[in-house]
Amino acid sequence: MKEPADLMRDADDAVKLLSGLLRRGESGEAFRERTRTETWTASESGLLAPALAEESGTAVRIRREGSLLLVARSGAGPEALRDAVREAGRRAGNAPFFKAHRGAPHSPGPDDPQRPDEEEGRTAALAAAFARALPDPRGLALVVEVSRVVTERTVVTPRAFLSCGVRTRLVASGTIRRAGSERPFSFQSARPFGEAADAFAAALREATRPTSGLPPATGPVDVVFSPSAASVFWHEVVGHALEADAGERGSVLSRVKGAAVAPAGLDVVDDPGRSDLPGAYGVDDEGSLARAVPLLSGGVVTGLLSDKRSGTVDSNGHGRTSSYRRPPRVRMANLVACAGEASLDELLDRCGDGIHVREVAGGSADPESGRFVLLVSAADGVRRGRRGSPLAPFALTGEILSALSSIEETWGSEVLPATGLSVCVKGGDAVPVGGAAAALLVRGLTARAARR
Amino acid sequence: MTHGAGAGLFERVLDAAAGDGAGAELYERRGALLELTEDEEGSTLLESHERGLALRLFKAGRSAFAAAGPERADSLPAEARRRLPRARARRGVRLGGPAPGEIPERRPLSDPPPPDADLARTLLTSFRQALTASGRGAVTVREASVSIGERAERLATTAGRDATWGSRLATLVATVVGRSAAGRFSARVVGAASRPEELPVARLARHAADRVLLPLNGRPFEATRADVLLDPLVAAHLIGRLAPLFFGDDEESLLAARTREGRDALASPLVSLVDDAAAPGGLVRGVRDGEGTLQGRTRLVERGLPFGRLTDVAAASRLSRPPSGSAVRIIWSAPPRIGVTNFFVDPLPGVSPLDLLGSVGRGLYAAVLLERPDVDLSADTFRLVVAGYTVEKGRATERVSEATVSGRLSDFLRGITGIGDDLKFALGGTGSAGSPTLLVPRWKTG
Repeated sequence: MKEPADLMRDADDAVKLLSGLLRRGESGEAFRERTRTETWTASESGLLAPALAEESGTAVRIRREGSLLLVARSGAGPEALRDAVREAGRRAGNAPFFKAHRGAPHSPGPDDPQRPDEEEGRTAALAAAFARALPDPRGLALVVEVSRVVTERTVVTPRAFLSCGVRTRLVASGTIRRAGSERPFSFQSARPFGEAADAFAAALREATRPTSGLPPATGPVDVVFSPSAASVFWHEVVGHALEADAGERGSVLSRVKGAAVAPAGLDVVDDPGRSDLPGAYGVDDEGSLARAVPLLSGGVVTGLLSDKRSGTVDSNGHGRTSSYRRPPRVRMANLVACAGEASLDELLDRCGDGIHVREVAGGSADPESGRFVLLVSAADGVRRGRRGSPLAPFALTGEILSALSSIEETWGSEVLPATGLSVCVKGGDAVPVGGAAAALLVRGLTARAARR
Repeated sequence: MTHGAGAGLFERVLDAAAGDGAGAELYERRGALLELTEDEEGSTLLESHERGLALRLFKAGRSAFAAAGPERADSLPAEARRRLPRARARRGVRLGGPAPGEIPERRPLSDPPPPDADLARTLLTSFRQALTASGRGAVTVREASVSIGERAERLATTAGRDATWGSRLATLVATVVGRSAAGRFSARVVGAASRPEELPVARLARHAADRVLLPLNGRPFEATRADVLLDPLVAAHLIGRLAPLFFGDDEESLLAARTREGRDALASPLVSLVDDAAAPGGLVRGVRDGEGTLQGRTRLVERGLPFGRLTDVAAASRLSRPPSGSAVRIIWSAPPRIGVTNFFVDPLPGVSPLDLLGSVGRGLYAAVLLERPDVDLSADTFRLVVAGYTVEKGRATERVSEATVSGRLSDFLRGITGIGDDLKFALGGTGSAGSPTLLVPRWKTG
């Protein structure tokens, strides 16, 4: 992970400014962000030239008891920081001390940190990926926006200037229409651009494949999740239910901390340190060191993800924000489930008659009631332990505790990264997330018709 | 307050962008937002100012876009110019000029004033009180947030347009938890208005209480063919999903397919669809769109038949008609695209919703949506998962915890036999969507 050198030029002055702002009983930090986005619009006839957007901002946050004050300004230089500190001090009733720390005038950094030929190379690579994905676009209509997003973040605390690093992601979203039906498409990769473009081509090719077949009959069904689909299952069923912003007793899982809810031997960890996954970071957006947090250990509820506002729980480095303008809140990073011993064929055999879910396009969960919904975008029927014909998109619903207790005692031996899991939106704030899991057999979920 | 890049930045960037035979359009946005959130941990007060500039260059049917904050705005002309020679664009892309008689304003922007935190606090208190009354103590607020935003915008082109305008929006978002002997249920509800004083606090509290108590206390609706009454806010979310049918010339084929090349109606003769930036009760109060075009009222469906389209400068050029002022800049750092302002079913032929209720022999009143509506315009299908009340002989009787209203969308729209006079708007798409109560008799529901 690179260091955002431009955002760190006034590190000493920034730390002094912050330490001068905070009073006894207060904690806080400043947060700087710079984002550079190249966006290509793609249709079935090819790519349109990239649009460029560069945005930077600074936020100053002050916490006092249970309250948080956040003041945000455009710009990531010393002037924006001083302006935000001044306003935060005024609103908090403090009087930040300025004069001793006046720094040198800030230059906004190199005029073009990206070389033009690199961007042209990316355009060419993406066009090639697009052509590979859609060798014959007849009968297809699509509008997909593909963006390369480079984000640099730093956190200034009263003691230190911390880099959250420079992260580059390739993200895509849009709509694909074919033969009288349409479906949403989303993709994200944190891999180097060439690899990400290849993965994008593969995902687009899969998404534009004609979907034949009918949705499964409405009612209870046994489901074998592929490793990618299992990541989404864990994200909705365990991850959201153990984010501490609903309070320590705010979800059906946090209310049973210490209880065995899933098969023995099942471990689920949220690990921001997995740099190969899109949700990785070293320091969270509040300046706390990111820590891997075991959420299920041996099937027992053991952990809770927390940030600096999580009441009685200390932060374990999961305070994340979608933008400098938004307050951080407790969010997952990369949810990783452990490997078991079964092959996919063994799981299908154990399933008997049911469904093999290859990809889940999205989902939601109500931690309070425990109800969750997974929107299945690619699946096959399973008959007598063998994969059958593809199914049309449908929804799977269930209840968190019942679903966890209905997981088969053995699960897949190969843990693979999720391809469908990309951005998680909670309370309107989108953050990149990742996941890795093994295939999983869950009995007694409910299938119901849905467009996607 | 001005930033380091200083005053005169707008003019400097526009001057630098002009030349080389290219037309230039420069857009600037300054925004102020105050958001007060109260949850179980305490409160969060957020105050933010943003400023951004976006440049589009046009030359020989090509268009290039670059956007940046004030720190890097001086680099925009070079960035856009560098991309222009290899910029593929859709046919019709061109620089918008001033309307006949339009005088360039040349008025620099200033930062909007910070919104009032006390007003936000008062609104949250009112919401909590209203929720306590509506939920009779069985509903609590886990998190509630009021945001009040104001923004100022300026757009100038080398073709002579130079306009300045402003807008406001206030929202109240709450996550509420209902508790009963049957368990707990939480839900997130959103209310909005173009001015904070107009936020429908009491109505949102009633809606929030229904949203969590109906699924807990009601019974599933038995699958049957029944008269369906959609509450205005349920109907608004369905109607809002129709908007892309009218975006430029992109979906003409889809609209033609839905109407068999115009031989069939799109909806019942009772239904007229309108987009109006100044609609009373609409959540958007627009003056100009993201290309500086003056906004007005566009009739899109007249008595069930397709009538007009929403266009930006490029789509209007392709359709050989004046632009409708429908270019929307959701964020300053992305190019404008076609969208709605206040898109709604005209309630003019409507009757009292009580009269509609009275006309129902046996049916379902869909009071709240439990999930985001599932609408596939290509497949002509829709699916609403709702909670509400059974209706017997014109009276709401039992609570319904969950019911599904689904089927062929065009049949549903053509089957509307009654509309109310109670138009209400919800946030949707790029603006707001609105509808009065809608009645569809004998629809398969379960």
